[in-house]
Amino acid sequence: MPDYALMNQLVFEGNQAEVKSLTEGALDEGRDVKEVLEEGLIAGMKVVGEDFKRNKIFVPEVLLAARAMKAGMSVLEPLLTACDGDAQRDVIVMGTVKGDLHDIGKNLVGMMAEGAGFTVVDLGTNTSAEEFIAAVREHDALILGMSALLTTTMVYMKTVVDAVKEQGVDVSVCIGGAPVGPEFCDEIGAHGYAADAASAVQLFKRLVAARNSG
Amino acid sequence: MRPRLRFLEPVLVERIVEEAKAILSTRGVLVEGPMVARLEELGLKVDGSSGRLKMSSEFIDSGIESAPSSIELFDREGESHALLEKDRVHFVPGSSALKILDRETNEMRGPTSRDLAEYVRVADGLERISYLSTAFVPQDIPQEVADAWRLYLCLAHSKKPVVSGAFTAHGVTRMARLLSFFRSGKEELIAKPLAIFTCCPNTPLRWGVDPLQNLVECAEWGIPVEIVPVLLLGMISPATTVGALVLHTAEVLSGLALAQAVRRGTPILFGGAPAAFHMQLMTNPMTAVEALQVFCGYAQIAEHLKLPSQAYMALSDAKFNDPQAGFETGIGAFLAALSGINSVSGPGMLDYVNCFSLEKLVFDDEIVAHAQRFIRPVGIKGDLPTGELIDELVRENHLLTAEHTLEHWPEELYLPGPMVDRTNWDQWEERGKPSGRDRALEMIEEKLDEYEVDPLPDDLHGEIQGLFHDTFDGKLEMPEY
Repeated sequence: MPDYALMNQLVFEGNQAEVKSLTEGALDEGRDVKEVLEEGLIAGMKVVGEDFKRNKIFVPEVLLAARAMKAGMSVLEPLLTACDGDAQRDVIVMGTVKGDLHDIGKNLVGMMAEGAGFTVVDLGTNTSAEEFIAAVREHDALILGMSALLTTTMVYMKTVVDAVKEQGVDVSVCIGGAPVGPEFCDEIGAHGYAADAASAVQLFKRLVAARNSG
Repeated sequence: MRPRLRFLEPVLVERIVEEAKAILSTRGVLVEGPMVARLEELGLKVDGSSGRLKMSSEFIDSGIESAPSSIELFDREGESHALLEKDRVHFVPGSSALKILDRETNEMRGPTSRDLAEYVRVADGLERISYLSTAFVPQDIPQEVADAWRLYLCLAHSKKPVVSGAFTAHGVTRMARLLSFFRSGKEELIAKPLAIFTCCPNTPLRWGVDPLQNLVECAEWGIPVEIVPVLLLGMISPATTVGALVLHTAEVLSGLALAQAVRRGTPILFGGAPAAFHMQLMTNPMTAVEALQVFCGYAQIAEHLKLPSQAYMALSDAKFNDPQAGFETGIGAFLAALSGINSVSGPGMLDYVNCFSLEKLVFDDEIVAHAQRFIRPVGIKGDLPTGELIDELVRENHLLTAEHTLEHWPEELYLPGPMVDRTNWDQWEERGKPSGRDRALEMIEEKLDEYEVDPLPDDLHGEIQGLFHDTFDGKLEMPEY
C-alpha cells in the first residue's frame, strides 16, 4: 500500500523529485491511476488550498506544491489520457486578449489553477478570438479564461464571447483583470468573473462541477 | 545602513548647543519651592532676589558627561526588557490623558480604573508596543493618589516597564516606594529601572515647585527621567525652528544638570513635546509640521550629546480614529523612527493628548510596525550582483518560487495585520465589508481574550495597597478594576 500520507506531505512541501518517485512507486505496486491521483496528489493539494485560505502558507509555497503535483502528474498523465474521459484532467485555455500585453495576473491564475489540478493551456498575450477558439477545440477545454488590463482592450472580450456563441463552442468563458467586474461579465454574456487568482480557481471549480452535474 | 533623517548641519547643532549653554549661564533658570534649599545644600547658588539659578558651561558639561548614554529598562520580574541607546527606537502609548474614547459608544468620557486595567490587558499583547505608559488618569480614585494608583494598575496587569510620572507633591516618593516593592530595595531599583518618569519644566526656563520637586526626587531614587519641555512655537517659544531648538535644548540641559547634581549618573532622556501655537484657534498641535521639525531637530542634538531621546510623536490631534488621525500618526511615527528617537510616546492618543483610544492604539500598533520596518538596515542580501536573478526572472516570468525569494520574502515582504485592509473590493465584500472600526474592535476583543499575565501575589497587592490606605488613614475605598 503506498504511503499516501507521506505523498500528501511531500506535495505540501513542494518536493518534486520525491513526489514523482512515490507516484511511480504507487503505479509499480499496481495501484489504480485514479486512486493515486486522488489520494496521493489531489488530497495533498487540498491541504495546501485550505492552509492558504487560513493564511498559514503563502503564494510561493502554493506554487511549489503545484510544481510537485505537476511532477507527479507527469507520470500519471499518459495513463489518464488512456483512461475514460472523466478521469482526465479538466483543461483551461487562457490568455490575455488581443491588443493587450499584460500577463502577470493571468500567469498567476494559471499557476494557481495548475496547482488545483487543472491542465492549463496558456496562449500568452495579444490573443485573438480565433486563437482562443482553436485552442479550446484542440484541447477539448472546459474553460476559456480571458484577461485584460486596459479599458481599451477589455471590449475585445465581448468579441471573443460573441465568436464562441456564433460558432457554437461548448466552453465556459471566464474573465478577469483590473478594469472588468461582475457587471461587465453579465453585460458581455460571459459565464463568470473572478477578482483574483484564488477566487478564479474557485470559479473554475464551480463551473466544472456545474457542467458535470448538468 | 539604517535609514536616518538628519537635516541640521553638524556646525549648526554645535551652535545651538553653545547658544543654549550661553543662555543658561547668562539668564539661568527660575527655580521654586522647597527643593531650592536642597539645591543650595549641593552648593548651587540661587540668586535670592530673582530666584534664578545661572549654570556655567562647565556645570552643564559635567552633567552631560555623567548622564548615561544608554538606559536599560527591566520588567517587574527584574529581567532585561529594553535598551534605550543609539538608534534603537521604541514606541509606547501616549501618557496622561484625562479622557478616553469609549469604544462602545464612540463618545469621549472620563476613565475609570476598570478602563485602565482593560487598556493594560490590550497593550500588553501588542507586539510593537515596547513597554507601557500610564496612559490616562482614572477618575474613580482620589486625585491626590491617582498618579501612583495608575502605576499600580499597570504593574498589577503587566510585567512590562512603564512610562509614568507624578503630578502631586509627594507623588514621586510614593511611586518610587511602589516600584521598590518589585525590587529588593532602592539600590536594586536604581540598578534595574522599572519605570521612566516624565518631568516637564515650565517653559520658558522655569522649574516650578512640583516639576523641581519631582526632578530632584527622581534623581534621588535613580529613576530615569524624560525631560519634556512643552514649547508653543510663536507663543512661549521663538516661532522659528532654530530659536525653538535653542530654548528647548536649554530647558533639557538645565534639568539634566540639576538631576546630575543631585545624583551623578541619573539616567536622563532628552525629551520633548513641542507644539505650534495655532494663531487663530489658539490650540497647540504637536502634530503641526513645524513642531515635527523641532522634534526631529532635537533628536539630532540628543544624538550629538550622546543622550537617549524621547518624544511625544506618533499621535494625533483628531477627535476620532479618522483619516486625520491616520496621517498625523503615520507621519509622526515615520519621522520619529527615522530620527532614531529611543522612546516615542504617542500611540493611542487623540485630541491634544487629552483623549486615549484603545481603537486607535491597536491601529497605531500597525503604524509602528510599518515605521520599524522602514528603518531596518538596508544591505546586500544575495541580490548583488543581480544578473542571475534577472536571468531567472526572464526565464521563468516570475520569481515567486526562486530560491532567493523563498529565502528572503518572509523577512523582506511584510504582511500587515487586519488593521490594514489589503483586500480588493470583492474580497472585502466577501468578508462582510468590515470597516476600520469594526476591525479595530475585533482586534481589541482578541487581545483581551488572549491576555495572560501572572497575577501579583496577594501579599504584594496587600503591601502596595497599604501605601494608598496609609494616605487616607485606612479610609480609602479601592475602586474596582
